[in-house]
Amino acid sequence: MQDIENDVRCLIAEVLEKDQAEIKPDSRFIEDLGMDSLKALEILVAVEKKFKITIPEQKLSELKTLVDTVNVAKEFLAAKEKANAG
Amino acid sequence: MGYPRVVITGLGVVSPNSGVGKEAFSRAISAGVSGIRKISLFDTAPYKVKTAGEVKDFDPQAVLGRGGLRVLDRGTKLLCCAVKTALEDARINISEENSRTIGIAAGNTLGSLQSICDFDKVALSEGPQYVNPSLFPNTVINAQVSQASIRFKIKGFNVTISNGFSAGLDALIYAANFIRLGRKKIILAGGVEEFCEQTFIGFYKAGFLSEAKEGKPELSCPFDQRRNGAVLGEGAAVLVLEELDSALQRGARIFAELKGGGTFFDGSRIDKYKRGGRGLAFAMRLSLEKASLSPQGIDYLSCGANSTAEGDELEARAVREVFGKSPRMPAASCLKSMLGESFSAAGALQSAAAVCAIEKQIVPPTLNYQEKDPLCDVALVTEKADSRRVDNVLINAFGPGGSNTSVVISKFTI
Repeated sequence: MQDIENDVRCLIAEVLEKDQAEIKPDSRFIEDLGMDSLKALEILVAVEKKFKITIPEQKLSELKTLVDTVNVAKEFLAAKEKANAG
Repeated sequence: MGYPRVVITGLGVVSPNSGVGKEAFSRAISAGVSGIRKISLFDTAPYKVKTAGEVKDFDPQAVLGRGGLRVLDRGTKLLCCAVKTALEDARINISEENSRTIGIAAGNTLGSLQSICDFDKVALSEGPQYVNPSLFPNTVINAQVSQASIRFKIKGFNVTISNGFSAGLDALIYAANFIRLGRKKIILAGGVEEFCEQTFIGFYKAGFLSEAKEGKPELSCPFDQRRNGAVLGEGAAVLVLEELDSALQRGARIFAELKGGGTFFDGSRIDKYKRGGRGLAFAMRLSLEKASLSPQGIDYLSCGANSTAEGDELEARAVREVFGKSPRMPAASCLKSMLGESFSAAGALQSAAAVCAIEKQIVPPTLNYQEKDPLCDVALVTEKADSRRVDNVLINAFGPGGSNTSVVISKFTI
């Protein structure tokens, strides 16, 4: 699960043009890291692509920090694994 | 009271033969440095054509800094570099106070075909849900000028002129008219095109490009008997056009004056030059009239000839119609022999070269000229630059679709 956090941090750092060290678990995307709506969508797509999952756009408003994003990614990864197992 | 005069107070150039910067460009065109070489941006193995005028080792980060470049395409970066260096050359700082008084107009027709293709490629190969939304803005034709406008906080207006080969010159005329009508004091005007495999394929399949065949070389050799097509190029040039009083009030360096321009559309087919050249002759006459000059007042004719059989012949006919036969013709030169055919950027690059030529009092050479074509009798300066008095330059841009534009740029005198 640590790998997921690292992967997501790496994606966010790339989109926001920040060093990975600047992406703290609870840094707020908009207020602390200067994210805009287009970059938020880009992060959502990048996470979907990385983990081959589909995250509904309604979830976008929940992605406010690294922790939030990792949790959403885990939620949909778990759903995917469950579906594959079933 | 007449219309305000429009002067040129800054230049920004990104060119295949000199990279970024006005001084390097001025030196390169004076020395006749070619920017045409083997294509490096993509593999040319499937094609017979191997050369183009690429801006080699283009490093936008060195000019623009690291931030905000990640999702911009090549054309946008070319234009942004030209805008930044033009503003620096003009010593203009854009602030909250003046941002609404400054506008930008640039020619661009091909947009970024590469960006459109890359975007669609992801949608088709990986699925539409995986396209990067931040890359979508690159797929529209006004992306490059809009992105430059956003980056440099140019709030007066931003306009993309998208009418083909003459768009760079048409952007200058559009901008100059805005200033003459008193709507803006300063406008950055010019053109940009990027070179990419997608546009290359289009021109290649249309048979527009020069290639080694039938004993003729793959070469940009305008007006030469051996010519057999254009060599593609790319680049960006931005001229800072300014109302004379504004320039004088802020103590700007005035490099030249944009005296007039004329356009004429005589298209009948999108892919065929109209051989008579009457449309271009009309555009030249109109620009001379606007500049209050007779044909004999022109010291340097910057030709739009691009080494295509029909296009060069068209221009030679038009020049003969306006200037008469040889002794009365002005010294002529074809920048595309050095840079290739950069479409909507070409007229802007020629205009930048005109300003440099006035500053240095030279006519740059036309490269690769060896065999005279009796149908293309123009007074070409070849091999090396000709040092001579250059007060007035007439610049031509025209295309097979029927757009014809001419502009006069002159030495500034108060």
